[in-house]
Amino acid sequence: MNRLLIAAGLLLLPFFAFAQEKFTINGTVRDASNGETLIGVTVFIKEIRNGAVTNAYGFYSITLPAGAYSLDYSYVGFGLESLMIQLDKNIQQNMELTPETEQLKEVVIQAEIEQANVQNMEMSTNKLEMKTVLRTPMLFGESDLLRSLLLLPGVSTVGEGASGFNVRGGNVGQNLILLDEAPVYNSSHLFGFFSVFNPDAVKDTKLYKGAIPSRYGGRLASILDVRMKDGNNKRVEVTGGIGSVFSRLAIEGPIIKDKMSFIVAARRSYIDVLARPFVPILQDGGALNFYDLMLKTNYNIDRRNKLFLSGYFGRDVFRFDKTQGFNWGNATATLRWNHLFNERLFLNVTGVYSNYDYALQFGKDDRDKFTWNSSISNYIVRPQFTYFINSRNELNFGADVTYYTFEPANAAGISNGETVNLSLDRKFNLESALYVGNAQKITDHFSIDYGIRFSNFQYFGPGTVYYYGDTTAGVRKPVIGSRQYAEGEAITSYNNWEPRLSFRLQTGDRTSVKGSYNRMVQYLHLISNTTASNPLDVWNSSTNNIQPQLADQFTLGYFRDLTEDKQYELSFEGYLRYTYNQIDYIDGADLLINNFLEGDLLSGDGRAYGVETYFQKKSGRLNGWVSYTLGRSELQVDGINQGQWYETRFNQTHNLKIAAFYDINKRWSASANFVFTSGTPTTFPTSRYLQQGILVPYNYNASRNNVYLNDYHRLDISFRLEGKKVRKGKERKNSDYWVFSLYNVYGRKNPFSIYFSQADQRVPAGQALQSQASQLSIIGSIVPAVSYNFKF
Amino acid sequence: MKKSRVANIVPAIVLLAALVSCEDIIHPELESAPPVLVVDAWINNKPEPQVVKLTSSQPYFEQVVPRGVSGAVVTITDNHGTIFPFVAENGVAGNYVWTPLPGQGFGSVGDSYRLSIQVNGELFEAPSYMGRVPLIDSLSFTEEVWGAGTGRTEPFANFWATDPDGKGDAYWIRSYKNGVPLSKPSEINMAFDAGLSIGGQTDGVTFIRPIRVRINSSDKNADDESIPPISAGDSINVQIHSITVAAFTFLTELRIQTDRPGGFQELFSTSLANVSTNVVNRSPVGTKVQGFFNVSAVSTGGKRYVE
Repeated sequence: MNRLLIAAGLLLLPFFAFAQEKFTINGTVRDASNGETLIGVTVFIKEIRNGAVTNAYGFYSITLPAGAYSLDYSYVGFGLESLMIQLDKNIQQNMELTPETEQLKEVVIQAEIEQANVQNMEMSTNKLEMKTVLRTPMLFGESDLLRSLLLLPGVSTVGEGASGFNVRGGNVGQNLILLDEAPVYNSSHLFGFFSVFNPDAVKDTKLYKGAIPSRYGGRLASILDVRMKDGNNKRVEVTGGIGSVFSRLAIEGPIIKDKMSFIVAARRSYIDVLARPFVPILQDGGALNFYDLMLKTNYNIDRRNKLFLSGYFGRDVFRFDKTQGFNWGNATATLRWNHLFNERLFLNVTGVYSNYDYALQFGKDDRDKFTWNSSISNYIVRPQFTYFINSRNELNFGADVTYYTFEPANAAGISNGETVNLSLDRKFNLESALYVGNAQKITDHFSIDYGIRFSNFQYFGPGTVYYYGDTTAGVRKPVIGSRQYAEGEAITSYNNWEPRLSFRLQTGDRTSVKGSYNRMVQYLHLISNTTASNPLDVWNSSTNNIQPQLADQFTLGYFRDLTEDKQYELSFEGYLRYTYNQIDYIDGADLLINNFLEGDLLSGDGRAYGVETYFQKKSGRLNGWVSYTLGRSELQVDGINQGQWYETRFNQTHNLKIAAFYDINKRWSASANFVFTSGTPTTFPTSRYLQQGILVPYNYNASRNNVYLNDYHRLDISFRLEGKKVRKGKERKNSDYWVFSLYNVYGRKNPFSIYFSQADQRVPAGQALQSQASQLSIIGSIVPAVSYNFKF
Repeated sequence: MKKSRVANIVPAIVLLAALVSCEDIIHPELESAPPVLVVDAWINNKPEPQVVKLTSSQPYFEQVVPRGVSGAVVTITDNHGTIFPFVAENGVAGNYVWTPLPGQGFGSVGDSYRLSIQVNGELFEAPSYMGRVPLIDSLSFTEEVWGAGTGRTEPFANFWATDPDGKGDAYWIRSYKNGVPLSKPSEINMAFDAGLSIGGQTDGVTFIRPIRVRINSSDKNADDESIPPISAGDSINVQIHSITVAAFTFLTELRIQTDRPGGFQELFSTSLANVSTNVVNRSPVGTKVQGFFNVSAVSTGGKRYVE
């Protein structure tokens, strides 16, 4: 702890060392059309060739020596605003930017110059514009945040039907997904076909793959920071859509004009309603649907204080009949208070409740049934300070405290009227962190961002803790003892220092080199040994038997604007990540409702490395990007693959994505995306043998992931038709558009898995059993879809 | 277990994606590998000859009956030092048989056993133990929903038995329809203390319901349509075999690796991995071996279905 204070002190020292009369200009930048605060707006001061970027609440603050300055406010898709100021006192300068229209194209290019990645401090970060998401129809013609994310470099998936996503060779559970700062433990609806985020209610999405700032922690591979809209504070607006699978509706508007606004957005799938007449299961009480609700309100108390309250509730329901089935979902609530202590010290305090749970029920009647639910819930308090020291230093510091309750199984079996409680002990944990980080511009051409995060994780009672003996690697570990802990009694505690460092060196007008190192620590583990992550995967905390996961990541990138107008950008970024205490599973591991789960877990190391190439054309009638990642992701675990390194299930050597957007004319536009990824590794047998009349596949070399599935490739095309802007000579108040889309245009049967089995027929004694291999494609044909979308 | 039960309903329900998913039989090239010795030694105390079967593994797509391994010396020794010699069966290469005196069975509950196989200059050994087994109280037939969502019901056989108090009893429930063993991977039916898994909390209760009814056949007719498990006149015979905890784990792994109905259950499937073995090669530089040795006490029950 002392070391942390000293480190913080040293970091702060230089900023108090000089005294010259300085003043601060600060304020909030908003969208002029609806009052939404804008995240990441560049405020550029020509005189010092330097500036600031608005934070997650649209706030900026710059402190400068007294003098005259000209400021440019610029943001992608918005018109540039310029301003002259005489800085002889502290100035509050709010700004509204106007969204671009056709006539403003020139300005757009201008605006993007300052946005260019080359000048930006950040690396390994992708900002996904909602505009882009909305223009990229995915499966069933629906735009989807996570599926659009898959088009970015370094992001991949095992295939259709897999929940979640993989970043730079990390597993699905190594991504921290934040929705208005609340962790979302399962980001997928319907086994990954859709994500839980309603694009109508999302303002901003940012994915950190490396160079992760010290204010974030808790996962190894990435942070996905999704921010909801605040709601239009100027007028009531309704947006919605009617699609093939679900419909959506969002209403937003002012409660008190310019002071308080709200947004409510809902979606509900209705495939089961439509299919009911044709499918008997659905008439018998069966169900297959999902729904979600996002809501948010904010209140501008005064110049120094703002309150935000947001919530999410989503659920997937699969019912087999009236009484049997399962369902799962996330619920989150976030309360935030922005407070400005003075012109330069900004505070945001966030309180979060987040819960993920699933429930199953099977059985014939009340005398014979099985019920099970499992959940992870947490309460978070997170004070975050930003101190805008001067135009060259921005200091972030704060704390992050999370209290977790894990309920691995609250289960009961009723057999012939006798009830058996199958529940497992709940687990209680506290994760705390303190962090400090400073973004410092050392010269006009060289800047660094350095910080440190100290994290502590406590596992405490009540609960029974088991101790396991050593055995041959890869075999179930025997229980050698147990101990009962009282309520609040400390069981295990872990401490970790997490240094973060990144730099940018501007090597020319249009080129820069950036690098970073960060250590990440993860105290929660997604327990999953299936081919693809699924909603019934269980989260587990670090315990006396499960060590926290660690990662050290190094990145180095080269960024270049190809032309003077900065329309074309090219970048290369290499990454190397070592991971420790990675979890794998013994063969035949029993992961669900198992008191002795920890005896079935193995621990090992991982390494992932690769190069991401990204080429983007930013504007014009034809725009889009090409992203190519060459990568590798491997694990080494004693007891698997004879202790040798093996490729992870989601390893992809080549990963190419092309996204293109083309404006055909004023009303028609088209988009296309193409994905090519190397087949993921899988395990094939070499031999077969018989055991009690059953055909067993056998791999002589006991290897894991020794072959590859066929390559995955897919082309999607969509057309968008804007509704008429003018009707009967009058301009329409509302706007609408149609989307016609084709997913998997050439109907490729991309393999999800290949499995080996004996043929189903019964074979008379003495005859040979037939062995076979089957390839499963989740989407094996072209999927056309139409949707209608409106706004008024 | 829970996993496979959960997954069972998935193919029936995910109509949406079922519209577009597809499955193809393929013929991938596989690595070649030398054969290994396979021990299939599931011994029980029924009053009938007991067989230890030794075969060689074969290339995965070789669709012939595996070759028996002859010339082995096979014995089982109990913890009292009694040796049970298994002699090569005439005409069936790889079968080694021990025949009890009339009316008697192999071994006794509570004893432990060691299988020993000497073949090709190598010594293979495996341990086991004969656990207790509860009696089968009765069999009954109940009407169950058959074919999800059709509203149609069909008779299903149930067996009734109660696990004795005390943790750690494992069983393999093997059933026969009209004398034919139900031995598809999907028909493997185990119980641990009357429940479904080792880490579960059941003990000393009636075998729980999925186990009670998982003694029914799943078959299809020539048109690939499922046929009801029981028709008038069918006789169902059920045997509970006590097994060791290691055997329970072995069968769990065996089922994971072999029961692959495909479709959306693949979303819940795990990587292909070798099923464990309790047979150890005692030779210093030994060849590989697969298979399992278990000694069971057996209780039986049967009933014929009359409409």
